[in-house]
Amino acid sequence: MIKSVIITHGKLGHELIQVAEKILEQKLDIEAIAFDWQGDGSAMIAQLEKFIARNQGHKIVIFTDMFGGSPSNISTRFINANVEVLAGINLPGLLKFFCCEERNGNFHQIVKKVEQEAKEGINIISEYLGEKK
Amino acid sequence: MIEKKQQIFNKLGLHARAAAKLSHLANMYTSEIYLIYNEDKVNAKSLLGILTLAASVGNEIILQASGEDEKDAVAAISDLFNRKFDEES
Repeated sequence: MIKSVIITHGKLGHELIQVAEKILEQKLDIEAIAFDWQGDGSAMIAQLEKFIARNQGHKIVIFTDMFGGSPSNISTRFINANVEVLAGINLPGLLKFFCCEERNGNFHQIVKKVEQEAKEGINIISEYLGEKK
Repeated sequence: MIEKKQQIFNKLGLHARAAAKLSHLANMYTSEIYLIYNEDKVNAKSLLGILTLAASVGNEIILQASGEDEKDAVAAISDLFNRKFDEES
């Protein structure tokens, strides 16, 4: 089983989850951690450590909002065979993770598919429509 | 393989929530299932694939399925369209 957490600047992650739950019409098994703008990140680290400890024995994917940002940089230190970090998550990627995904498949392949879907979900619409003509 | 023409009846067309319901339903079947609209053919099990069709109310698409449960799959998906994705009374 893959457990997931989303860590973002501010409450961006909370909002993403709310929107995904609305679209999928189901409660999603994911937690959100907001980066405290005023702090040094220690609160976020503590929350992440607790999340990982609670989910020992599971594969864990940590979604962050932007590669190189504090949530992403802090998450990077937790990467191991059971923990992967996907930076730059967006709504298409999150929906892919929770919708129609074979959750018992290869951990890395699943995270890779989510990465691809998130990237493919970014389009300049006029160019996209032009390619279709 | 079977195909069925299907009109879109719900006002919002194949928007995010409808696409989620459709892909969720399609994933309950083992058959390969596609939606064809204009010249585009997308996997009905892919939420984002469905969204790229940008199909609206009144448009007609083709449901295409191939596999052991193809008839049941097309019937169930067609029923979802006809029920307007349970969005409208």
